[in-house]
Amino acid sequence: MPLDHRRLRGPEESQPPEVWAAAAGAGGAAAAEEEEAAAAAAAEEARDPCALRPLFARAGLLSQAEGSAYVELGGGTKVLCAAWGPREAAAEPGGGAAAGGRLVCEFRRAPFAGRGPRAAAGREAEREAAAALREALEPAVRLARYPRARLAVSALLLQDGGSALAAAVSAAALALADAGVEMYDLAVGCALCRPPGAAAAWLLQPSEPEERRAAARLTVALLPSLNQVSGLLGGGQGGPPDSWAQALRLGLDGCHRLYPVLRQSLLRAARRRAAPSTA
Amino acid sequence: MASVVLSEAEKLYIVHGVQEDLRVDGRGCEDYRCAEVETDVVSNTSGSARAKLGHTDILVGVKAEMGTPKLEKPDEGYLEFFVDCSANATPEFEGRGGEELGTEIANTLYRIFSSESCVDLKSLCINPREHCWVLYVDVLLLECGGNLFDAISIAVKAALFNTRIPKVRVLEDEEGSKEIELSDDPYDCIRLNVDEVPCVVTLSKIGYRHVVDATLQEEACSLASLLISVTSKGALTCMKKVGKGSLDPESIFEMMETGKRVGKSLHTSLQKILDEEESLGTTRQKVGFLG
Repeated sequence: MPLDHRRLRGPEESQPPEVWAAAAGAGGAAAAEEEEAAAAAAAEEARDPCALRPLFARAGLLSQAEGSAYVELGGGTKVLCAAWGPREAAAEPGGGAAAGGRLVCEFRRAPFAGRGPRAAAGREAEREAAAALREALEPAVRLARYPRARLAVSALLLQDGGSALAAAVSAAALALADAGVEMYDLAVGCALCRPPGAAAAWLLQPSEPEERRAAARLTVALLPSLNQVSGLLGGGQGGPPDSWAQALRLGLDGCHRLYPVLRQSLLRAARRRAAPSTA
Repeated sequence: MASVVLSEAEKLYIVHGVQEDLRVDGRGCEDYRCAEVETDVVSNTSGSARAKLGHTDILVGVKAEMGTPKLEKPDEGYLEFFVDCSANATPEFEGRGGEELGTEIANTLYRIFSSESCVDLKSLCINPREHCWVLYVDVLLLECGGNLFDAISIAVKAALFNTRIPKVRVLEDEEGSKEIELSDDPYDCIRLNVDEVPCVVTLSKIGYRHVVDATLQEEACSLASLLISVTSKGALTCMKKVGKGSLDPESIFEMMETGKRVGKSLHTSLQKILDEEESLGTTRQKVGFLG
């Protein structure tokens, strides 16, 4: 609808009321916030740091894409992934010293994926996630078998309930495998975060509120049957290497535990695909 | 990224050398190349530095400008990073060629500086919710000779050390309107505390070992590397795998330990150089770009 700006008699700038409410009515707002923090802390204590959120995975559900997968984590993270097999690549930029194919990854957040204002996180975050996704998947795919070709994966985050990048890694690997791309192994992603506080322990697969409050975050991608770490991205408040090493161990353990679920869903998709032709 | 093409024999030569802890230029696996750092090289900035690590040449300028604080952090200033890949470095960067690498480096810098403790952002606030200092950190790649990230982080730390932000006062008159007054004395300025600013250490896996500060040739031999940022106290603030390959978990643990050790000594030597340069004051002979 066209808008007549001359009729709007509001101030030139506007700011969300929450900011001022927190400052002015410090009493009520702060108390509510404290309560929330206390509740979160209590929930954290009750939570087993090694507990994995229930994972639902299904491969081969999109009819138009060559391979596809949907991964959902209990608590609301939903990722939909599609993969397209080898296509002839246009002239490769940068000379193309490598003989293998190229893997092109895309990571998109749905505008309504997060809490709060629509699409607050910009293009930059998406691009960084896409780069991380590519780095996590590249070691898993046998790119040398696809010379001068390009493989495409696109991940769409429908709802962000924490550990989104990790779920996207698992979903993308599943989609690639479903598309029949030659791979060494599935890449399994797992996220961790460390709540603020000196002695806080790392939590496996944090939910969105936990992730928001966290002092440090880490996403690990593992090729379980080869026991190779294909992706690693993390940062935040500094800690000694031992603390990060412990996080990494915990994350790898989490990946190993998720692996059978993903494998099973892949098998089920293959069986479903085979069934109509035999019948 | 700028890369070189090596034959199999050349690669084998490098890999075997690394296994014997002797690299092509005579270094051991945990040695840095000779680094040159000079601060205050560009007069139009609030702080600047140039770092040269072998054939990698980085120029960083920091400009302090006044802006409005971010809504979620009303009493803090912030840092902005821009990375410009000059076509002088490699012809590949011409036009928009360097853009992808530039955003990747900028994103990594944001990640490294995302930790609250590394720069005291509260000191950059002038007037909560209204005015703060925004530090625009512009990184210019003049030459790429391998190990970009480490060189950039050294240059950024040196430039932040060199940054001088003019002192301002907020005056409030009876009607409640605020006025910002700049100090008359140009030497009256805020300095940033850079003790907690981390440096990046990139460890490249070559064969069964890992090396720090890889040259372009060594980078061509390495499939995967681990990038970690270490503070002067030896705390890790960021961890990232880069490259096409994958890493063994055990080797990651080893790399983290090496990175911490190397990073700590890197910080001490950098701080020593910066303090030395500082003590010379205006009598220092500037080397500039022809040195």
